[in-house]
Amino acid sequence: MPPTCNRCNSPATIHLTEIKGGEKTERHFCEECARVLHVPQPSKEIQKLLASFEPAHALSRRQSASLQKSCPECGMTYGEFRQQGRFGCAHDYDVFGEEVVALLERIHGSSRYAGKLPGGKSAVQGDRRSEILSAREKLSKAIETEDYELAAQLRDEISRLSAPPAAGA
Amino acid sequence: MDSPDDQASLFPNEPERNGLQAPALWLVEPGPESDVVVSSRMRLARNIDGFRFKARFADGEGERLEVYLRGVLQEVDESLTYHSLNDLSKNEREALFERHLVSHEHVVDEQSRGVAFSADGTTSVMVNEEDHLRLQVFAPGFDLGSLEQKINALDDSLAEHVTFAFDERFGFRTSCPTNTGTGLRVSVMLHLPALAFRQPEGKGSGAERDIVRMHNAAQQLGLTVRGLFGESSRAEGDFFQISNQITLGKNQAKTVEDVSALTEMVVDWERRNREAFQQEHGVQLDDLVWRAWALLTSARKISSTEALSHLSALRLGLHQKIIDKVDVGTIQRLMVTLRPGHLQLREQCDLPADARDEVRARLIRDTLLGSTPPD
Repeated sequence: MPPTCNRCNSPATIHLTEIKGGEKTERHFCEECARVLHVPQPSKEIQKLLASFEPAHALSRRQSASLQKSCPECGMTYGEFRQQGRFGCAHDYDVFGEEVVALLERIHGSSRYAGKLPGGKSAVQGDRRSEILSAREKLSKAIETEDYELAAQLRDEISRLSAPPAAGA
Repeated sequence: MDSPDDQASLFPNEPERNGLQAPALWLVEPGPESDVVVSSRMRLARNIDGFRFKARFADGEGERLEVYLRGVLQEVDESLTYHSLNDLSKNEREALFERHLVSHEHVVDEQSRGVAFSADGTTSVMVNEEDHLRLQVFAPGFDLGSLEQKINALDDSLAEHVTFAFDERFGFRTSCPTNTGTGLRVSVMLHLPALAFRQPEGKGSGAERDIVRMHNAAQQLGLTVRGLFGESSRAEGDFFQISNQITLGKNQAKTVEDVSALTEMVVDWERRNREAFQQEHGVQLDDLVWRAWALLTSARKISSTEALSHLSALRLGLHQKIIDKVDVGTIQRLMVTLRPGHLQLREQCDLPADARDEVRARLIRDTLLGSTPPD
């Protein structure tokens, strides 16, 4: 049975394990009571996220290999990144590859940029480029799964997006 | 706007040190919807291509980057005053934090780092904070439109001088994955005494229902609601902050639109709850406001938490036309000057908490009763 809140008996979502003088005590709270009692909550949202994302005990061999991935530019490993929640340099995004994509998806609900380009020449253009990139990705997936109807739609969409904006638009 | 004398008194020991002029207290100016919205803020996180992030700086890289960016900032906008944080006293750093110009992390860090700010205190650029550059702009009241223009102009002129770590797949690459993409944080600080008010018996009130609605709406829009000083801080004096959490897949305009939409809803709920409360519990509200006045003008010792809660009641009393002995600018000014960094700079020494409580009580009495200039 899942633990219940020590204060109000509703299902507990916050679990505290304290080890004092070699003795371990466990306490459980629901979110509301934890807030009322000022139970310390994990200060870094990102660490919680990282932990929930890939529980350490459930790591497959492939996943533990990914923890060893290290960036040739800054030396940071994926394992260190997971612990600290901070990248060591801009290249880590490429080195940690699909793990980063999955993490960004989880944080933002998306892993595809939308917004201005540096220098802000045209924010609209920035958005449009990212739409084209995203449509291209969908197109290759559609071709892979032999969904030619969707592929045709996407092809039209890409050519529409790639066309120069109509006068006055 | 503050007078030059006023500005010099922020750092009374060495007003001319490094040409340091304290930034003005912009929060005292009135702004749109300022009965509920205290201030608006926008921030962009940017990193320079070819430099590692702070977590992995090579030997001397942080120092080199600070020198480089200091020069760049000077070229981009010579009206900004730059200071290396390690050249400032602890109280001066604290005072900049209390004016929201630097983060708490920037105050306590030991890395080579700095801040450039405008004389009016509404623009600041932190160097070597979590990201190489953190651009921030502020405005009193609810005014995201003007901030968007201002921060884009600064961002775009910086881009003419440096190459940002950017690509079209992930956008601006930041040290923490929660900022990846636009690197944008839009926040609005709100004074919500009526929404935050709890009935003593825990009876479900309209306000409690609206607080739940506020949190639900925030979640749906990818926004968050927090206390006065941002992350993990509690809502002292009923001041709350609405800000976006999503920076990838949602562009700047949409982010501003979502924060504005929730803010408009919350402003409306707060006003309705204030009216309802005043109608149903007029005497209780009058009592709360006048007791706050009595306490603030009589106390001989007061903590900042207690002072903030009474200033919150005064601010409410002013807007509900219960009291007119003080203006909102004076309250906003006190909310900054009663904090430890400002108090200690004023007294020109470090003080234990007990002594600070005494000095704070005197400052508040003198300010509210008008016997000394407010700052």
